[in-house]
Amino acid sequence: MALDADADAVREWATQEQLTFPVLVDRQHVVAELYGFTNVPASVWIDENRKVVRPADTAMGDDRFRAFTNVDSSIHHNLLRRWVVDGVRDLDDSGVRANQMLPDDDTQRARLHRRIGIVLGDRGDDAGRAHHLREAERLAPMDWTIVRGNMPLFGDDPFGEKFFEFAGRWAEAGSPGYPLGTGREQPEA
Amino acid sequence: MAQITLIDNGSTYELDGSPVDGSLAVDAVGFARSTGWELKPEGLCREEVCIPVRDRSALLQDSMLRLDEFARLAGRVAVVDVARGVAALADSGGRRSEALATLDAPDFTLPDIHGKQVSLSDFDRRKRLLLAWSSW
Repeated sequence: MALDADADAVREWATQEQLTFPVLVDRQHVVAELYGFTNVPASVWIDENRKVVRPADTAMGDDRFRAFTNVDSSIHHNLLRRWVVDGVRDLDDSGVRANQMLPDDDTQRARLHRRIGIVLGDRGDDAGRAHHLREAERLAPMDWTIVRGNMPLFGDDPFGEKFFEFAGRWAEAGSPGYPLGTGREQPEA
Repeated sequence: MAQITLIDNGSTYELDGSPVDGSLAVDAVGFARSTGWELKPEGLCREEVCIPVRDRSALLQDSMLRLDEFARLAGRVAVVDVARGVAALADSGGRRSEALATLDAPDFTLPDIHGKQVSLSDFDRRKRLLLAWSSW
């Protein structure tokens, strides 16, 4: 499920491989809200009875960004394999609850401003779009799905200067994000 | 009367409406059809849930429903752009937090990259990995 206002950008990535699973496009970040995603890549585990058995948490596909993220992707992969193959969870229900990121009203309002911005942009109202996307950033300044997700919408390189500025601000604020931080390593001193 | 765009849980509806005291009011019939919320004698109702409404005239006047008052009563947050005629509603932070704590995985439907609608419930009775990613 891609958190992308631009469905063509999703298709460009998702058609490079023959995938065996559906790739959905969440332009309005509806699923991000329902499951509490604030950054990507991240995953939630859902069991056969449609219960959440692991909350939103970092889930790297591989180690290509390990030097930057300090996340060892294999830790999550191994936990996931153990659950799928052996039916063993690493968290019980209280562990899931203890590691959820719960939204406040401003987080919710930020998501709404982003939605309005996307709808206005679809109508060609660029000034309206810009106003609401910036409001979203003001209300949720540490949410990557909003701040970094906005970068391509403003013509900024999401791997460029703005990205490193934001990553710096976020680190200074104590790297607020998914509490589990599975696979996170201490950066070398 | 003007056309108002209402975004409710990410779905978009076009309703008749007008500005009122710095917020927007929308046609209550269209609002009920779009969101399922309807003002009945017993209160503000959706499916089996009814919320008592003490001051009905603050919510509904001339069959127009005020969105800020609706949000307050229903435990939701509203963002309203009066000048552009757009409003959006979502659960309040508290309401969403309560829902997350139930550990129920809410169903959703989104288009896949070929435009086909896919729901979480299409994969019921199976383990599911919901992976959030992006092009950015």
